[in-house]
Amino acid sequence: MSGPVFAALSGDPVLAQHYADFRAKAEGALAPGLVAMIRQAVAQVHGLEAAAIDDTTLDHGTRVCIAYARRMPFEHTAISDAEAAAVVAHLGEARFVAFSVVTALADAECRAAMVDLPGLAGA
Amino acid sequence: MSTTPRVSSAIASEPAHFGSVLAHQPEIAASFFALYGRFWGSDVLSARTKEIARMRNARVTECGFCRNVRFDKAVAQGLGEEVVDDITDGYETSAKLSDAEKAVLKFTDALIHDPELLTGDAKAALQRHLTPAQIAELGLGVTLFLALAKALITMGLEPEVMGRTVLPTPAVLEAAE
Repeated sequence: MSGPVFAALSGDPVLAQHYADFRAKAEGALAPGLVAMIRQAVAQVHGLEAAAIDDTTLDHGTRVCIAYARRMPFEHTAISDAEAAAVVAHLGEARFVAFSVVTALADAECRAAMVDLPGLAGA
Repeated sequence: MSTTPRVSSAIASEPAHFGSVLAHQPEIAASFFALYGRFWGSDVLSARTKEIARMRNARVTECGFCRNVRFDKAVAQGLGEEVVDDITDGYETSAKLSDAEKAVLKFTDALIHDPELLTGDAKAALQRHLTPAQIAELGLGVTLFLALAKALITMGLEPEVMGRTVLPTPAVLEAAE
């Protein structure tokens, strides 16, 4: 496990392991390729990732998911019922729940990195 | 922002709420509740301080559910409504929040809203008032508060109407340890 939150918790291995397990369980409910693209898309919105996703190479369902993920950092209250329904139609309800957690966690982790949480915590 | 659930409850007898929707993914739910219980059960950072950060996140993310819930451990540590009322824009001038709590709020704002708010002075204040272990725990907390609020809102689980509700503080289940 990598990432700013896990790194910051290096002084508390038990809590760090709980966090790693939670993130792993959420990400494990989705295809690894989709998880990687969600994290890349969210990081790019935050300016932390230079490489752009080429949407033209994606199937319709994946394109819908990535468009939705890009809205999470700054537009979460503006996501419409129709946008959510399109993601549910592609993933199904159970994986939409995991998708919501993974996407929101990716956003929060970017933000933790931007305040240098590990540095503040002396990790 | 929708108050119509975008996901059904996975528990037949219950309406759609965070727990019943998360039940679509039992492994994620079990792991989350173990983590959240461990986080709130730790006394490295006081429950009052964690709750102050959670309240600030609730207001900035516009999470009505989060904004109306209070955890009893923080209430017992003196976090009354007169203090919560000051966790709003302009908290810097509050006479009811300590300097340490204001430093926590500035960090919370920086993480959830704008990292530029963590100026040299704000960073120094945070590190003066909190130990590295406390900052790590605060960072975990704010990360979880933010992610869960956004997940809850985007899954359409905001209540139409909700009064203030004091809940038992999440705790580690003995069977899970």
